[in-house]
Amino acid sequence: MSPAPLAVTVIPNFGRGSECVRDNHTFCWGWFTDHWGDTFRPALTQHVVLTLIAVGVGTAIAMACALFAYRQRWFEGPFVVFSGFLYTIPSLALFQLLVPITGLTTTTAEIALVSYTLLILFRNILTGLREVPEEAREAARGMGLTPRQSLLRVELPLALPAIIAGLRVATVTVISLATVAAFVIDKGLGAPIFAALQTSFKTEFIAAGGLAVALALTADALLVAVQRLLTPWARIRVT
Amino acid sequence: MKDFRDSFSFMADHLDLLWHKLVEHLALSGAAIGVSLAIAVPLGMWLGHLRRGSFLAINVANIGRALPSLALISIGLAILGLGFANVLVALVVLAVPPILTNAYTSVAGVDPEAVAAARGMGMRGREVFRLIEVPLALPLLFAGIRTASVYVVATATLAAIAGGGGLGEIIVNQASYGLSGVVAASIWVAALALLVDLGLGAVQRLLTPRGLRRQAPVLGPPDRGTRHDPRLQPAPGAAPR
Amino acid sequence: MRRTAAVLAAAGVLSVGVAACGGGKSKSTAGKPGAGKPAVTLGAKNFPEEFILGQLYTQALRAKGYKVTLKNNIGTSEITYKALTSGKIDAYPEYTGEIISTLFGKNNRPSTAEQAYAQAKQLVGTQGLALTQKTPFFDRDVLAVLTSYAQKNGLKQTGDLKKLGAKVTYGAPPESRTRYQGLIGLRQAYGLTKMKFKPLAIGLQYQALDAGQIQTGDVFTTDGQLAGGKYVQLADPKNIFGFQNVAMIVNKKVLAREGADFATTVDAVSAKLTNDAVQKMNAAVVIDKNSPADVAKKFLQANGLI
Repeated sequence: MSPAPLAVTVIPNFGRGSECVRDNHTFCWGWFTDHWGDTFRPALTQHVVLTLIAVGVGTAIAMACALFAYRQRWFEGPFVVFSGFLYTIPSLALFQLLVPITGLTTTTAEIALVSYTLLILFRNILTGLREVPEEAREAARGMGLTPRQSLLRVELPLALPAIIAGLRVATVTVISLATVAAFVIDKGLGAPIFAALQTSFKTEFIAAGGLAVALALTADALLVAVQRLLTPWARIRVT
Repeated sequence: MKDFRDSFSFMADHLDLLWHKLVEHLALSGAAIGVSLAIAVPLGMWLGHLRRGSFLAINVANIGRALPSLALISIGLAILGLGFANVLVALVVLAVPPILTNAYTSVAGVDPEAVAAARGMGMRGREVFRLIEVPLALPLLFAGIRTASVYVVATATLAAIAGGGGLGEIIVNQASYGLSGVVAASIWVAALALLVDLGLGAVQRLLTPRGLRRQAPVLGPPDRGTRHDPRLQPAPGAAPR
Repeated sequence: MRRTAAVLAAAGVLSVGVAACGGGKSKSTAGKPGAGKPAVTLGAKNFPEEFILGQLYTQALRAKGYKVTLKNNIGTSEITYKALTSGKIDAYPEYTGEIISTLFGKNNRPSTAEQAYAQAKQLVGTQGLALTQKTPFFDRDVLAVLTSYAQKNGLKQTGDLKKLGAKVTYGAPPESRTRYQGLIGLRQAYGLTKMKFKPLAIGLQYQALDAGQIQTGDVFTTDGQLAGGKYVQLADPKNIFGFQNVAMIVNKKVLAREGADFATTVDAVSAKLTNDAVQKMNAAVVIDKNSPADVAKKFLQANGLI
């Protein structure tokens, strides 16, 4: 059945925007609150999820590799070269390069995001472990701890400040690059930014950009708080 | 893999285009670094000399490092509109913190005994600054400039999204140049960042008094200084763009 | 005429209401044509009109029980088409002239919208793809200038820019650089060889025109911004931008798999998309900043399509 060319189209009233919106003022608070629920909250949630997955997976990989390199020194060089290579690829390009392989999916974004965390996390974990004072290790041995117990109960806790310092850099990096991910997937706080590019809509630029900035600063502050909680002994040195 | 191989024939075929975009890229990055230096170096060193404002100098680096670059460009699009100025401001906001922090740390962290000795020899504040603090501060100051420069060169890629030109213009235009063009431009950006890093690394080594030289790390995270005050860690390394 | 429209609309709403009641619980998809059919992934290109089209087709299909995922804002025609042929998406709305010249590189210029549609259908057919019925509305690229600038320089049609030589910067999406419906056609057909080019994401043209960063911009005839009188369109007598009615390109296998009602549903939406309707929807999104999803929903409801 071919569509009838004379079918009558009804054009409903779509609702006018406020004057602020129509004239594209710098920031229209009303529009922002109206679209918090359908645009910004979902985008923020997606952004947080993207970030948590990337940092989580990145930490797991980097931790495994760093522990291996801690025991097997030869592994450090190749891994640093590899992760350093990933680190130099511009994010805009990496996302596009992955699309033919993993499609227009969250996986594409996550692979790229994880690859940017590896160098930072690996280096910080390894440095943290290596800077554990020899006396601490000896004390652990003297207390009869097995190498595994020593690692879990003495060396890793002492390396925590360095590890968390790495986590901070990795987390804010991922938050930043996850906005760029919207170039290939319509998710996260980058999505409203790319949408705003189509309409030059200032409120949307500022709202999405501002939320991304706020998220990054909050995440950074949270990790500082976590570090203070987990490593009470370090506080003495700092203050 | 095929795109990677094709990217080299792309480079051969589009050398003019790549060159032109490279020049734009350098102009944008250079302007951003220049403005950042003009702001951050005097301010940071002055605060360092007075040994005041350590809270500001240290935290500004942490905050600066956390700022998402695309978000800054986005906010800039709303306030400054399209093009060069917007991207320039965004890049300056990203480049100032590591330079400022290192400028502060480099001067404030100069061995107090050296300063005391200079004062003991009768030097005034200005002379202490010029003859003792600045020469001793240079290596660390330069480390900050290097971090910021690599960061700026890499981040300038995003300028294309806001009509700012540069090599990113090829990277966002897969439609015209294909994946091989995207790869080719990425290789240029990566190579440029590496060259800037190595080049400034060499300068940094030259500026370091022989007795203090140590291996400078290539790319990225913490360049751990051996400073007296544990709070005075130099700015952490650059994040990718 | 208006009364007829209202009556028809009322009838449409009524029939949908009845259908919904007949289906029992409103969420239930049982008995609907799309129920139990494999999921489909639709795509949309990178500008507001496509966002709206994507929402229109997605919501209409979902109302018929199809399981639809929408990948929004994928990219240019070239990128989105590649996503289609590599199986990342199953269908997306495309413009007939765009299919002919951008996707298949043909520079012939069909003389009617029907011819353009037939050629586009034949071309995609060679790639295992089908084309649904075309929309009544068409949206072509056109060069726009500030009205004041046109008056000052006596500009009526695209070719008039030639006398301004290198004083004109043309702002267009990056991909225009290598498109016949873009820089190539403007050079070949109108001799605008000296004109400078500034790549700009779609939608930034108006801002750049206002700021004087470009003198002419590539825009769409259905853009809401063109309604105000601030900008004028330059005529395209050589017709380089072609005929641009919209139709959905669908993977033939997917079309067969989903059954006849899939195309019928899509065609029913397309048939309602007149120039006036699309321009109003664009304005509702671009100027009044309503979300494409809301605008599409209101339109489908008013026309009895959901």
